[in-house]
Amino acid sequence: MTSSPTPVRDGQASVPPRPDVIPAEPFSVPTPSLTRLANGLTVLSYHLPGQYVISVRLAIPLPLAREPRDKEGVASIMSRTLDEGTARHTSVEFARMLERRGVALGAGMGEGGLSVDLDVAKRHLPDALDLLRQCITEPAFPQDQVERHVATRLAEIEQEYAVPAHRGGIELWRTYFDSQSRSARPVAGQAETVASITRDDVVAFHDEHVRPNAATIVVAGDLTGIDAASFVLKALGEWEIGETDSPLDLTAPPELPDRQPPALADDRARIVIVDRPDSVQAELLIACAGPDRHVEGGFAPFPMLGFILGGAPTSRLDLLLREDKGYTYGLRSGFRPRRRGGVFITSGSVRGDVAAEALDLTLSVLEDARAGVTDDEIAQARSFLTLTAPSRYATADTVAEEAAALSFDGLGTDFADRTLRAIAAASADEVSTAYRQFVDGSWTVVVVGDAASIAEPIAALGRGTPTVVAS
Amino acid sequence: MPDISYPIAERVLANGLHVVVSEDHTVPIVALNIWVKVGSRDEVQGRTGLAHLFEHLMFQGSANVASGEHFSALMAAGGRLNATTWFDRTNYFETVPKGALDLALWLEADRHGRLLDAVTQDNLDNQRDVVKEEKRQRYDNVPYGTALHEVYATIFPEGHPYQHPTIGSMADLDAATLTDVRDFFSRHYGPNNSVITLVGDITPEDGFAAVERYFGGLPASAVSRDDAIMTPLDPLPEPRRREIHAPVPHERLYIAFRLPADGTADFHAAGLALDILGGLGSSRLVERLVRTEQLTTSASAHPMGLAGGVSLGLVSAEMAEGVDPDLVEAIICEEINALIATGPTPDEMEAALADTERSWLSAMAGLDERADAISRDAALFGNPSRINSFIEEVRAITPDHVQRIAREWLQPHSRAVVAYRPELQTAPDPDSSRAQDTSSPAHAEGALA
Repeated sequence: MTSSPTPVRDGQASVPPRPDVIPAEPFSVPTPSLTRLANGLTVLSYHLPGQYVISVRLAIPLPLAREPRDKEGVASIMSRTLDEGTARHTSVEFARMLERRGVALGAGMGEGGLSVDLDVAKRHLPDALDLLRQCITEPAFPQDQVERHVATRLAEIEQEYAVPAHRGGIELWRTYFDSQSRSARPVAGQAETVASITRDDVVAFHDEHVRPNAATIVVAGDLTGIDAASFVLKALGEWEIGETDSPLDLTAPPELPDRQPPALADDRARIVIVDRPDSVQAELLIACAGPDRHVEGGFAPFPMLGFILGGAPTSRLDLLLREDKGYTYGLRSGFRPRRRGGVFITSGSVRGDVAAEALDLTLSVLEDARAGVTDDEIAQARSFLTLTAPSRYATADTVAEEAAALSFDGLGTDFADRTLRAIAAASADEVSTAYRQFVDGSWTVVVVGDAASIAEPIAALGRGTPTVVAS
Repeated sequence: MPDISYPIAERVLANGLHVVVSEDHTVPIVALNIWVKVGSRDEVQGRTGLAHLFEHLMFQGSANVASGEHFSALMAAGGRLNATTWFDRTNYFETVPKGALDLALWLEADRHGRLLDAVTQDNLDNQRDVVKEEKRQRYDNVPYGTALHEVYATIFPEGHPYQHPTIGSMADLDAATLTDVRDFFSRHYGPNNSVITLVGDITPEDGFAAVERYFGGLPASAVSRDDAIMTPLDPLPEPRRREIHAPVPHERLYIAFRLPADGTADFHAAGLALDILGGLGSSRLVERLVRTEQLTTSASAHPMGLAGGVSLGLVSAEMAEGVDPDLVEAIICEEINALIATGPTPDEMEAALADTERSWLSAMAGLDERADAISRDAALFGNPSRINSFIEEVRAITPDHVQRIAREWLQPHSRAVVAYRPELQTAPDPDSSRAQDTSSPAHAEGALA
């Protein structure tokens, strides 16, 4: 275990020699057993010994674009009111039933669709799945609770506008995507559409879209002695399928809603300053197009690039802007795949009086990377991403989460396994080429900060005239 | 459900280092977790934030490790790592493939034993800047970001070790010198003031031997913490109140109570009382304020466990549009009085216990969080096996006990209120937020430090 016969000296006492690392055994992402119920629901069970809390994730593919334009946010209001009472139980009764069985239940909308999450100790799994069935198939959507969640969402919007990172996100998507695209607007809707959402809207949306046809349910945990798929069959086997043009073909993979890549704004390559007077920091958000998981050549280079540029305290951005300059607590950079088309995004908070310089340095780091990444960086990224996989996939929660996220994209966790193997084999050339394929130096930049002090220095960077918008 | 029991083996090295090993061979990784018994409560006046700033310097190199190498060497070996600072402690942790455990221990031993050779003015200045940006990002530049800081300042006596936040003040961060850093290390860092826990694919014998190999040669250099200065505090004798006029979107109330110290049955009982008031979906305040009367868009309650003679309980609520916060505050006091008068119902007890049990099991599911809990129990309560009796201890709490603790600690007259009032202005400037302290000027309780 020791690499050097002579102890290191530090002048005070003898120090044991620095030990070598013993290489890890090859790792594979856990594999599920898969069944598909007659109503189309795919059941993935992951047996993970020692994981006593079972994680259940129900993923229902559902494009946000299916929301009526004037009712955007209805899918999120629906997701938040699923557990506010059912055909047989009031909202507080239902909450009490969940709690007495120690069930943690949550639901929310994302770009891929509706997710319902449930965590429960093994002995309560059958009861918990029945409660899941009730809130999915017979929610009551009481009028007063729908109204309450609409009011809560309106208050939440005000809060999002007050928090720099959220405010920046709203402006980033508004600038980056074409204004006709649903992706240009917040997932949970804006004040003008949310305010008009009624119980009837929620009921209709639920009835049409919360269906098992292409849905996946993941059950992960220590499944010793239980047959998770039969529990799911018992609880959700009667869940009625939605209308289809042709009968469900259970021998083919679930038919995911057709999705075009969202249109991007023609004028997206520009700088927008969201004026937040007297801010003591500036929030930077920088984006350009990135790949989705189906990208030709494979997705493997992109997690590596994220790690090298802005995925760790040792990344290029933090070495310069944090460890050298002290301008920030940290900047993060990464490729975020979406169902079709992805985004490369870099963000973080920097000291207000150096906002322009920090922005310029950040863009330079991102642009200089077009010259390529080094073999050393590749080795670091490869080791980190492959060797941390056993700990990243060690809990029921993380495995279930990953499986559900991939199912929205028509993929299984074997995708994660293939990507890990490709990461192990990727060369600096391949990774550098992949970066250049997406990053051409045209950026959508949003800065949330005190325009009076940052607009002029940012304009002076020569990277384009910033547009200033109100907070 | 069969009760879950995790194996616990412990040993104290000759230099005082408390080592705990919990084997779990389900995954070929080991979580290594070190708790140093120093936190912001150990800071002296004029040097708030030093414990946390110091923690940052632990990543800037040590006698045989270059600046940043702790991160880069462990990440290249498949490690995920970080450190955090809180009132009662500083923790350093990494989860590594088992073949990298020796390297992790070697790196940790170098910085925990031989840091000062590498500390420089440049590193201090740089990390001071980084920490100031951390403070701005997490607290100063977000609405309600400093709400808890206001709570600590209101509920604890002037100069009490828990009265200032861990992040410290800008002036004190600016004032920190290399001498402060050296003194801090010499006083608080050393094997006799630390606990190291290994959880994962390793046997106790191998774990003890590996820790001995790298830490065994370090001298017992730290001055042991004097827990006696943390004298227990009683509930507030009368209400205190602080109104914050700031550019926030909504009226909010943060209503705090002193609670018994963590690690006691009384603290568990207080936690259950808060769950029943506002910690669950079916809780009294959630049902009344949020669901039925719809006076607030949220209501919650939770305990914040502290080991030094007193903990904190927090009830918070955000007003719905146009609702008078005084009305909401009165209802919260009314509901607390009702709990004090009649205690929890069997249904409420069952819900709070089931919820506690499930969230505890979830927390123990990951090796890293389990290692952190074991370190905490060993460092603060001297009992690394406590994770195995925790659920039993909570289950043993009776409704009468919950009622008694509510009566003793949650009396409305013992509350400290921080009320946020939106200021119709432009955007937040925390330095100009006007804090108006309307509580009694005299802090009668024994102020420490």
